[in-house]
Amino acid sequence: MRIEEHPILSFDKGRRVDFIFDGKTYEGYEGEPIAAALHAAGIMVLGHSHNKQRPRGFYCAIGNCSSCLMVVNGQPNVRVCTEKLQENMIVETQVGKGDLR
Amino acid sequence: MLEKTGVATEQDLAKAIPTKERLAKGPVAIIECFQRIPCNPCYTSCKRGAIKEFEDINDTPEINFEICNGCGVCVSNCPGLAIVVVDESYSNEEALVKIPYEFLPLPVEGSFVTGLDREGKPVCRAKVMKVLNTKAMDRTPLITLAVPKELSMTVRFMKHHDIYSDNTFICRCEELTLGELRELIRKGYNTIDEIRRISRAGMGPCQGRTCRQLIMQELAAATGKKMSEMPISTFRPPVKPIKLGTIAGGERGE
Amino acid sequence: MRTTEIAIIGGGPAGLCAAISAASLGAKVTLIDRNDNLGGQLIKQTHMFFGSQKQYASIRGIDIAGILMKDLDKYQDKIELMLDATVIGMYEDGVIALEQNEKYIKIKPQSVIVATGASEKFLTFPNNDLPGIYGAGAVQTLANVHGVAPGKNVVMVGAGNIGLIVSYQLMQAGINIKAIIDASPKIGGYLVHASKIRRMGIPILTSHTVKYAHGKDRLEKVTLCRLDEKWQQVPDSEFDIETDVLCISVGLSPLTELLWQQGCEMKYVPELGGHVPVRNENLETSMKGIFVAGDVAGVEEASSAMVEGRLAGLCAAKALGYIAADFEEQKNDCLDQLNSLRSGHVGEKIRSGLAQVTV
Ligand SMILES: Cc1cc2nc3c(=O)[nH]c(=O)nc-3n(C[C@H](O)[C@H](O)[C@H](O)COP(=O)(O)OP(=O)(O)OC[C@H]3O[C@@H](n4cnc5c(N)ncnc54)[C@H](O)[C@@H]3O)c2cc1C
Ligand code: SF4
Ligand code: SF4
Ligand code: FES
Ligand code: FES
Repeated sequence: MRIEEHPILSFDKGRRVDFIFDGKTYEGYEGEPIAAALHAAGIMVLGHSHNKQRPRGFYCAIGNCSSCLMVVNGQPNVRVCTEKLQENMIVETQVGKGDLR
Repeated sequence: MLEKTGVATEQDLAKAIPTKERLAKGPVAIIECFQRIPCNPCYTSCKRGAIKEFEDINDTPEINFEICNGCGVCVSNCPGLAIVVVDESYSNEEALVKIPYEFLPLPVEGSFVTGLDREGKPVCRAKVMKVLNTKAMDRTPLITLAVPKELSMTVRFMKHHDIYSDNTFICRCEELTLGELRELIRKGYNTIDEIRRISRAGMGPCQGRTCRQLIMQELAAATGKKMSEMPISTFRPPVKPIKLGTIAGGERGE
Repeated sequence: MRTTEIAIIGGGPAGLCAAISAASLGAKVTLIDRNDNLGGQLIKQTHMFFGSQKQYASIRGIDIAGILMKDLDKYQDKIELMLDATVIGMYEDGVIALEQNEKYIKIKPQSVIVATGASEKFLTFPNNDLPGIYGAGAVQTLANVHGVAPGKNVVMVGAGNIGLIVSYQLMQAGINIKAIIDASPKIGGYLVHASKIRRMGIPILTSHTVKYAHGKDRLEKVTLCRLDEKWQQVPDSEFDIETDVLCISVGLSPLTELLWQQGCEMKYVPELGGHVPVRNENLETSMKGIFVAGDVAGVEEASSAMVEGRLAGLCAAKALGYIAADFEEQKNDCLDQLNSLRSGHVGEKIRSGLAQVTV
């Protein structure tokens, strides 16, 4: 959900771009964190923990806690709370510890 | 108790409320700030010098009610939003309460809202007398509410829709409530025709006979126009609901 | 290897003020932040700040960041900015290692001001890892920086200033706050903040805690319970609240890794948020030439972080021979401001904490 009106802030967004999450196309704004774009699209589960397979969302949103690791353009272990969205990015949930390809 | 609930008690408030005589004279600031915190913009923003100089930045504000003229400058400068202006000289029945309101949508002047107490409980219907939102206020607009006089020290916030409006039907046919109507007016639907088109109110089986007048009254109250000056809705035949067949069958009548 | 006179790690209010004060005396400064923007916590603070005019009271945090940035611009020729640059190590020979654009960069400064701020504490209860359970800072970043709502309904854990302010800000963004709870019997944040939230009809439940979070793929419901005077659960006091977001705001702990690496003497001081560096009046740590300022030196407020930054900048510059003509006067002004900010009822904790680590 995007915040449409705000009494104090106005949000200057980048360009609207498409990106792909687990095979499906979504829209987001260029330059915003991938996690924000996913969240705005209603996706809160970013992955599953590697031992107990528990669902994982973000926690700190500033790159401290590593709760939000995903595979981005084939590269595993990307912190999507700080990684910026670009056009046609391919974002995937990470299975396990993320094999380094 | 304030420490536990966040709601000031009568004891706390006793220090903040001026005498009846002073209240009767006109607008005055009520500062509900009872804890020593490092903060002093109320003092620095009051150009009249009504607030005693802080010796230590942690002092709680001490106001001289005789110097304060209720100008309201301190209200939008207080980071704690702890100040309101109360004017009991407004009328015999009503007092004005000026509150800071940093939310959207802003209420519309002339419309009615619900007055809330310090716990957010609805306590009265309040008319919005003024909405001030200047650059100097830096996104902390001031809303002036007219409230029943005995609630001048009770009402401290507002919410949209008054407490009576949500189950109050204006258009029985199309089930439009007073609350919904006010929301439409707030959104800028300012003539009866616009309201009819967007909500279907007035287009039910009674053809608006039950609701037209009520909608216009509400519009008049919100926009400040006189009933006599308002555009009336376009009347289209038939003026009374008839079976479709009646028209289709023509004049011959079988 | 790159060199500089003063490296400042962290571009929040503390780091910004340190950079401005050191550069204004003529020192060459390198200001490093891992974000692509300066301002630290300020960039999400939409509310008016406390303090006095000297600490920009009554101005919104977001705008204070703008004011500091303008001041910084005046010393462009003295200040080198490194953004999107994360300091990953600080070695005993004084070399700083950082990563910027996937490049590994080393810098050798003559002195360092560490102003890395603090990170959020976590809370333990079953299923505390479900998506939908977020740190308050995270929710604030999402809503106020990126314009995305964390969810529809929020239960806030923690009635300190951060919990209260973030709740208010979420309401401003149109998000419903179901309740604010706190294990303590008293509201920890400023009471004026608490009162303004209560007026909106939001309950503040003191002596309450989270017992359990429920949900399959994401948070759906929380079980809360009441605590007695000994912070023990009152039997049969559990109740459920449906919510899609639980926001945790139970305090911050200083981000001190770099100081540990340097071998600075550290001390555990709960009043200041955890382990903090031992420092002298000039904010210099036990390691010569390593200064600290802001939340990393003890979790406090932006108002004090700015003054500490200015003081650290002043003293670090002096150590390198850039001495302000009115150094003593400026230093005393900083110390006076800090004293007065901390002299109130709420500053009591900070005062007792600082007494343990200031030598
Ligand atoms: C919700 C909320 C409300 C608040 N309200 C108020 C208020 O009303 N008044 C008030 O005075 N204070 C308030 N504060 C507190 C205030 O924001 C902080 O005390 C202040 O920001 C601390 O400043 P700082 O510079 O020490 O740290 P920060 O602002 O946290 O800045 C630290 C910076 O260092 C960077 N950094 C950290 N590690 C590294 C690294 N390894 N490499 C590179 N960069 C790094 C970070 O990215 C960050 O930009 C509030 C805080 C919050 C969360
Ligand atoms: S209302 Fe005006 S005169 Fe009264 S204390 Fe506030 S600023 Fe001063
Ligand atoms: S400005 Fe507001 S919060 Fe600050 S001391 Fe004055 S009344 Fe209290
Ligand atoms: S959410 Fe903490 S690192 Fe991304
Ligand atoms: S929470 Fe334990 S390492 Fe991240």
